[in-house]
Amino acid sequence: MSATPTFDAELIDLLDRLGRRDETALKPLYEQTSSKLYGLALRVLGQRDRAEDALQEAYLQIWHQAANYRTSLSPPLAWMALIVRSRALDLLRRHRDERHTDTLDDALSDTLPSDTPSPLDSHSASEQAQALHQCIHRLEARQRELVSLAYLRDLSHSELATQLRLPLGTVKTWLRRGLDQLRTCMTRFA
Amino acid sequence: MNLLYHPELRDRLAAAYALGTLRGPARRRFETLARQHPEVRAAALVWQSRIAGLNELQPNQAPAPAVWTRIDNLIRADLERHAMAQTHQAAQADAGGWWNRLALWRLAGAGSFALALLAVGAVVMQRGQLGGQIAALEQQLQASPRISYVAVLNDAQANASMLVTFDPRNARLTLQRVGDYREASDRSLQLWALPPSQPPQSLGVLGEGPLLRLTAGEDELRGSPLLAISLEPQGGVPSERGPTGPVLFKGAVIRPQL
Repeated sequence: MSATPTFDAELIDLLDRLGRRDETALKPLYEQTSSKLYGLALRVLGQRDRAEDALQEAYLQIWHQAANYRTSLSPPLAWMALIVRSRALDLLRRHRDERHTDTLDDALSDTLPSDTPSPLDSHSASEQAQALHQCIHRLEARQRELVSLAYLRDLSHSELATQLRLPLGTVKTWLRRGLDQLRTCMTRFA
Repeated sequence: MNLLYHPELRDRLAAAYALGTLRGPARRRFETLARQHPEVRAAALVWQSRIAGLNELQPNQAPAPAVWTRIDNLIRADLERHAMAQTHQAAQADAGGWWNRLALWRLAGAGSFALALLAVGAVVMQRGQLGGQIAALEQQLQASPRISYVAVLNDAQANASMLVTFDPRNARLTLQRVGDYREASDRSLQLWALPPSQPPQSLGVLGEGPLLRLTAGEDELRGSPLLAISLEPQGGVPSERGPTGPVLFKGAVIRPQL
């Protein structure tokens, strides 16, 4: 059920070509992955222009580092997504002072409007992501959002409490319970 | 407490470590243990990889088409820089060989040619002498048949700032900075063809070096009597949008009658 072997193989082939400085591989790679990766950058940064900057920097880094891809042992999309998240977090830290606060409900309405699992593109997601997808959707929506934002925006308990205007104790309790449930669930996929 | 004997706690800490919510001294203690004990390290790596799945679970969004243009422009500039560095190295490594002598000849040719152009650029400011100078230039061009189009781009004070030559055989535009203008690090210079009664057409984005090469088709130059350089955000803007920043340099394309 994970990313179809041909999809992964295609991305790996494109990364290999980029590693040999064959720039013609970049356009097809961008076409296959940019929507997924821009969605990620947008979720981290919450602003289109900054998310576009992060995406641009990430693809340049992918261009420069594609030759190292194979040493990572990661599925190709997971490797690229890590690069996008790092570049997006760099921009987020650079603009930390001016960062807006929003409530958990705002954040939720940006992404998952209900408790129904969002459709997962099983064509492209790695096996690891699919397992996580199943487990994280067993969490209650607010817990799921808290866990997601903690990771995606690299926020501490107190930063989460401030940004989402929740009591610190609530953040700690929800995160602990959410992670415990995730652990129990993910162990089944191990 | 020794994590090695408490797999449950080890796993819980590894998950919080991967999520990023394990912070401060507790994070440092966990990292120290992970360095010392493969079991702890393995748990941390497993959880990092599991949590990283969150990156792939975000809703898809198509980026604006301009993003691809910017990336493509920057990659091309990177390739040009790389190619020029390699040519330079090869020329140095080959000192004394026939190939190098050929390269030297080319350089010498380009140098005297550039000097001739500079002279043109300087005199173009003085009205009335343009015709004679163009004739001289055309003579020069016929002596350098690889180059079929040239332009001297001037700034608002009519100082020659950029020399442009076009080699149709290699579809190659060469730009040489002759003024001391340098754009800020977060800006790029972008070269435009200005065909009559049509929107400007981007010919490419310039890198930082003194000598710049861009790939262009002859058709793009043939129909454009004017070239211009605008100041744009780093990486340039998509051609269809046209220049968004100020035009810094412009000049006529001069075509020899070959």
